[in-house]
Amino acid sequence: MGDLLREIEAQIAGAKTAAAKQNVGIIRELGDGVARIEGLTDAMLNEMIDLGNGVTGLVLNLEETEVGVVILGDYTKLKEGGEARTTGKLLQVPVGKGLLGRVVNVLGEPVDGKGPIKSDTTYPVEKIAPGIIRRQPVDQPVQTGIMAIDAMIPIGRGQRELIIGDRATGKTTICIDTIISQARLNKAAEAAGDKGYRPLYCIYVAIAQKQSTVARVIGVLEEAGAMPYTVILDSPASDSAANQYLVPFAGAAMGEWFMDHGMDALIVYDDLSKHAVAYRQVSLVLKRPSGREAYPGDVFYLHSRLLERAARVGEKYGNGSLTALPIVETQAGDVSAYIPTNIISITDGQLYLETDLFYQGVRPAISVGLSVSRIGSTAQLKAMKQVAGQLKGELAQFRELAVFAQFGSDLDAKTRAQIDRGKRIMEIFKQPQHDPIPVEVQVAVIWAVQNGYVDQVPVERVKEFQTRFTEFLTTRKGELLGKIEAEKALDDPLRATLKAVADEFKQTWK
Amino acid sequence: MKINKRAQREAKQLFRLCLVNGLLDENHVRQVVRRVVAADHRDCRAILSQFGRLVKLELARHTATIESATLVPPDLRAAIEAGLTRRYGPGLTTTFIERPALIGGMRIQVGSDVFDGSVRAGLAALEKRF
Repeated sequence: MGDLLREIEAQIAGAKTAAAKQNVGIIRELGDGVARIEGLTDAMLNEMIDLGNGVTGLVLNLEETEVGVVILGDYTKLKEGGEARTTGKLLQVPVGKGLLGRVVNVLGEPVDGKGPIKSDTTYPVEKIAPGIIRRQPVDQPVQTGIMAIDAMIPIGRGQRELIIGDRATGKTTICIDTIISQARLNKAAEAAGDKGYRPLYCIYVAIAQKQSTVARVIGVLEEAGAMPYTVILDSPASDSAANQYLVPFAGAAMGEWFMDHGMDALIVYDDLSKHAVAYRQVSLVLKRPSGREAYPGDVFYLHSRLLERAARVGEKYGNGSLTALPIVETQAGDVSAYIPTNIISITDGQLYLETDLFYQGVRPAISVGLSVSRIGSTAQLKAMKQVAGQLKGELAQFRELAVFAQFGSDLDAKTRAQIDRGKRIMEIFKQPQHDPIPVEVQVAVIWAVQNGYVDQVPVERVKEFQTRFTEFLTTRKGELLGKIEAEKALDDPLRATLKAVADEFKQTWK
Repeated sequence: MKINKRAQREAKQLFRLCLVNGLLDENHVRQVVRRVVAADHRDCRAILSQFGRLVKLELARHTATIESATLVPPDLRAAIEAGLTRRYGPGLTTTFIERPALIGGMRIQVGSDVFDGSVRAGLAALEKRF
């Protein structure tokens, strides 16, 4: 006991009692999730502020005599006149593989009731995007499993492809299908022990969505077995505007971790129109000057700095990538509104979904004319490029001719053939939701269409033909599909085999 | 009270007039208040309210509040004042307050800077860590 006491005394004698300097302020005004704090002379922009009672704030406005802070938590616990302190830390979120399979809030705290998250690394929510030296061109494909996209509007790893359309046109479904497709590819590569395959991890950021919608998305991903490769960030409609404004940046930070560690990630922002509305609310409460449609002047910068964080970095920097799929909801198909035009100009292309097509039964309702991928065929498998290179042009011609054909029935044989082919291609591109198609099957089917195997099939039976042909390929000609997947290009022997297989199938098709 | 931008701007200009060699001059402040009241300006109340706020913040910036659990002996007071003047420059007003709730040690506040070496702060930090 004597030794213990001496030890404690020695520890006390050696202990330093220096008082650390703190910077404090007084909450002057509180309301709408925003606090105005007097003092805090050392506060930095985007610094986390300890507001007491376990509530944290984020500095967004630095003024001469006070700072404007958005409250990230329960502001009912705070009182005017309360003390606030700087922390010297920027807003950070946990990152890493420990987040996969989890549903988290804006601060990276789990909301799925599956216990704490195992992560000892944090990343700042606001980070400067990789510069030109760190980047390399986008040339590796993201296989969405959606035939219309993979064939005509290919998306590359590191690209930013906007998904735009009215409400209920299948925007979220495209993203969910892409996530499911990645999970299937990742699983298949793991099962085959393919070390050359680079798994694509997915992050789904729900901004101001209904809780029921998010629950449905989680259910679909769980059912498809995609959750082990996915992180879901949720800031529901009932959350504060500050949280809704921050959640895509938190998601980007989580995605950047994968990119910085030489891995590939895909992030879905669902959706940025609601994000802009949340930012407008925060800005108005902070009394920032408003501009067009009452959005603050920096709403373009808000989205450009977010989407610029998607990149493919060079070999020297790990060869990782972060692909972004932002979603924007239009009102009555108006793509020329403020936020849609901003984001169209920032991204590397857009998938435009049309309500009319959706109700005509063309699902996914992608408008081929208005959709574009600025990366183009560089982010496409060579085999796909070989079979689908002309498709977009053919479909565009078909649409023009179809409009022209409405005025008269006397058409020459060539025009009629083009229209017939177009109708069949449109049928082929119809696809049920949550059922992505492997790229090798897509190549084989499109090759069959391009080589006239579907021309004699009645339009209403094209889908049946496709299903049977796919079954035939997967159950009896797995070797051929394996070859297409492995070689990633169609050479003459492979073309001859494809022809033989298609002929064999045609004999059985009635 | 709602203070419009014009009132804020004018209050700031008046406040600047009250600074002599970077320090607030009490006579100037009194004179400004008297004149603004006498002018009976439409925004008089808003201007003076904002002006008062700026003066309050400036005074807080040049006031050191030293709280301790027991009374601080005169030699230690002198040492603290000298140390604070070295750090924050001349023109600092010091106020010593006895606050037994601190249990031990000292807490010094100058403007929004706080140096808390009290036992109570130490215990609070310990509690947070647990």
